[in-house]
Amino acid sequence: MSETTSIIPVPQSENTKFGMWVFLGGEVVFFVSLILIFLLTRIVNPNYEIEFRSLLSIPVIAGNTFILLTSSYFVVRALEAIGIGNHKGMRNNLIVVIALGFLFLAGQMVEWATLFRDGVNYSSTFGMPFFTVTGIHGTHVFIGVLWAIYALVGDRRLPYTKENHMGIENFGLYWHFVDIVWIVLFTLIYLI
Amino acid sequence: MSHQTTERRVNYLGIFIFLAILTLVETLASYLQQTTIKFPVLIALSVIKAVLVLLYFMHLKFDSRIFGYLFIAGCLLSIPLILVMIFVMPIIADY
Repeated sequence: MSETTSIIPVPQSENTKFGMWVFLGGEVVFFVSLILIFLLTRIVNPNYEIEFRSLLSIPVIAGNTFILLTSSYFVVRALEAIGIGNHKGMRNNLIVVIALGFLFLAGQMVEWATLFRDGVNYSSTFGMPFFTVTGIHGTHVFIGVLWAIYALVGDRRLPYTKENHMGIENFGLYWHFVDIVWIVLFTLIYLI
Repeated sequence: MSHQTTERRVNYLGIFIFLAILTLVETLASYLQQTTIKFPVLIALSVIKAVLVLLYFMHLKFDSRIFGYLFIAGCLLSIPLILVMIFVMPIIADY
């Protein structure tokens, strides 16, 4: 047997996953810089507790956090389903993910509207970093929802298979990462 | 990757329930008045949750290590940013 035949071929589709992880590594740096801006504003302004944190509704945001965690679970279920060739299961789970994504965004809109009513806006000391970091995270969630819709539509045109469903896996990586970012934001902005 | 998700039996529901419980504990802990206990507990819970999602939901526990290294690289590249913040903070505070 020649040497070349003993080499296990790496599926080309794994390259897209590699690319996804490179992208997520870059996203870590991006979000860390945004979070640092928020923390810097918070640390140098001693009125954070009175002027801003007291206006945040912890139970509402805890509910939103639970929604995002639940959506992550359904992403895993979708991936599991297509892993055994269960198309209907994958589609149903993705529909739940889309619904939960919209629900999370609706919760965030309610929170923002409440803050606007309380006088926190883009030009206020804590409003600027807060709306920037949560807004960019919300944009990521929205992009994730669009991606899930695209995956559903794409599945009709060119169905994912038990053997090839890298599109769903890459979407899952992105969605879980957005979930992790929220886990950190929830702690640093809302709880501490 | 498709074979990995089918052959491996991971109790995703159990992990999800554990994450939900940790979220509830975090939320309740945020009402503690003692900041010396509250801060480390909340940070620790947040880290545990993030690591669980990375290891199980994102399959880093089972996938090629290179994916994990890429994520760690992102974290390491963030350290200079944190150092800059530490050095800049007193200047901004004085300003």
